[in-house]
Amino acid sequence: MSTMKKIITVFLIAAATSYGYAQVNVDSLNEQVIIHEGKINALDERVLLNEGDLEKLKKIKVSGYIQAQFEAYQGGLIAKENDPKTSFFIRRARIKFTYEATDGIRFVLQPDFSTGNLSLKDAYALAYLPKLRSLTLWAGQFNRPNYEVEYSSSQREVTERSRMIRTIYPGEREVGAKLEFNPSEIPLKMQLAVLNGNFKGTELLDVDSKKDLMARATYSFALADNRVGIDVGAHGYYGGLMAKNKYVLNYENGLDSLDTNKGTYLDKKWGGAEFQAFFDWLGGMSLKGEFIAGRNAYPGDSKTNPYKTKQFSGYYIYLIKNIGKKNQFATRFDNFDPNTTLSGDAAGKDVYYNTFTFAWQYYLNDNIRFTLNYGIPLNEKNATYPEDIKDNTFTIRAQAKF
Amino acid sequence: MKKNKITTFIALALIVLAGAAFIQQTKITVKGSDTMVILAQRWAEIYMKQHPETSIQVTGGGSGVGLAALINGTTDIANSSRPIKNSEIEKLKSRYNTLGVEIPCAKDGITVFLNESNKVNELSLKQLSDIYTGKITNWKEVGGADASITLYGRENSSGTYVYFKETVVKADYAAACQTLPGTAAVVNAVKKDKYGIGYGGAAYAEGVKHCMVKKDANSPAYLPTAENIAKNQYPVTRYLYMYLRNRPTGDLKKFIDWILSPDGQKVVTGVGYFPVK
Repeated sequence: MSTMKKIITVFLIAAATSYGYAQVNVDSLNEQVIIHEGKINALDERVLLNEGDLEKLKKIKVSGYIQAQFEAYQGGLIAKENDPKTSFFIRRARIKFTYEATDGIRFVLQPDFSTGNLSLKDAYALAYLPKLRSLTLWAGQFNRPNYEVEYSSSQREVTERSRMIRTIYPGEREVGAKLEFNPSEIPLKMQLAVLNGNFKGTELLDVDSKKDLMARATYSFALADNRVGIDVGAHGYYGGLMAKNKYVLNYENGLDSLDTNKGTYLDKKWGGAEFQAFFDWLGGMSLKGEFIAGRNAYPGDSKTNPYKTKQFSGYYIYLIKNIGKKNQFATRFDNFDPNTTLSGDAAGKDVYYNTFTFAWQYYLNDNIRFTLNYGIPLNEKNATYPEDIKDNTFTIRAQAKF
Repeated sequence: MKKNKITTFIALALIVLAGAAFIQQTKITVKGSDTMVILAQRWAEIYMKQHPETSIQVTGGGSGVGLAALINGTTDIANSSRPIKNSEIEKLKSRYNTLGVEIPCAKDGITVFLNESNKVNELSLKQLSDIYTGKITNWKEVGGADASITLYGRENSSGTYVYFKETVVKADYAAACQTLPGTAAVVNAVKKDKYGIGYGGAAYAEGVKHCMVKKDANSPAYLPTAENIAKNQYPVTRYLYMYLRNRPTGDLKKFIDWILSPDGQKVVTGVGYFPVK
């Protein structure tokens, strides 16, 4: 019996001890859980705070590209004796900042930092109109609505735009407002812009009170089970330039100096048609073209530098062929006649140009591409330019894009 | 003689260039939709067993990420749970001079997930839209308990996010919607949250309740079952796509042909989606 008592006593003491020990363990565990819960809550708060900051940063997008190139010039008639025949050159160095304030409202700022040419390329606000998500309103400085103008220099297969586009849309950008209709359900895009009309890159204000109008519409369709895609479109420009003195060079290059010229609006009116065809053929190929014709006016300030009016026409055709994933061949033929009313000796300096351009792209990766480009401008020959101007240019370009 | 040499050189150069366009692929990369990642991995595993000479690498990241990789040339196939956008086609046109190739490879019903303890069993498209835009914030407004609704959704790079937004929400998501990386994460969140609601591909729905969905208040409600999706009765049915830059050739074509074959489509059913054929 006493042995039994002893066993029970020992058992009870052991049980009490282990219970006490377990209790201590549970208490200690509870304490640890509370401590870690506190730490996790603190981490949660920090994560939430960081997420908030990250959300704000995600509203800002930064992209850009640098085009550094080596050029070799044929030189000749227009080149002065001591002009360099070769040069390294930073063609473009742009950073684009996009801030998406709220869903559907965007601000874009794009300066160009290329050497000796610090300029503002884009500065606009863009808003999707409420309940009309296909319609956007743009205000500020942006690309004029035209295919070659809107096709980014960082994507273009040859180094420069065609001579016609560079002449009628100098600097590509304009200041004004634009409505763009681009529904996701149908492959249609319509643009209507109201512009100052005389912007070349540095003008702060319009030079006259009338605003110029631009409109463009494009429609895309596919054929042969999506193997061929065709985009067709048209665009028009309706505007004018006010002559602030009486000296105007008419379409025949004759100097008009009538008092009635002062205050009249000289026509800047033209229209054009465009197409782009894409073929899924041995790695992809495209054919693109545009024709534009109309009347343009250029500013002047005196009898010796009068206002100028010219009827012009021009076109360009691109043939682009992808070779594998990394290589691409491109060729372009472009024609520009700055004064279709006159030809031969009567045209003076307004000779027409046919330009052949050949280019090869090598895409090292998504960020880097190398371009070899050879441009051969052939001018009309007349008394002013009795031979072809030696102005061919060979370019090796490296482009870094991020 | 000199002329002959030049002609020979030009001919050889052309042959090399033409040959480059036909280079056969032995390694295939697949990137994109998280909804499709399990399906794509199964396809790759089975196909590689049958064709050891072909190596297939599959990664997720979201439909937008996959299509961006297709455009920048770092993937051969972009998986996408939404149709390609016009802006993405424009990028393909500009870089590769093609419109891309769209291959519908499976069908999916976007499933609305509820916690198993939730009293609510069915919702109309309008109610779902109101819930996800933040107009309805309490379960009692749709016949459930008096408790706040917790919204779970996908990140904006996800095709499911875009498809659900365009088809169901038809406006901007409420700011309170918590975005999670992948449907599996959404399912997991709803599993743990009594008052949570989420959406995603049917193949991930384990441990949560499928909500029946009806077109409007007067329509019958349907579950995202194979039959209802095949008959287009389930209102949130979509195709799952593969996108390529060009018409496929060589090993890539063989792989895609196999995916669309009865064997490949059997895998679709096995993973929980629905075949296109």
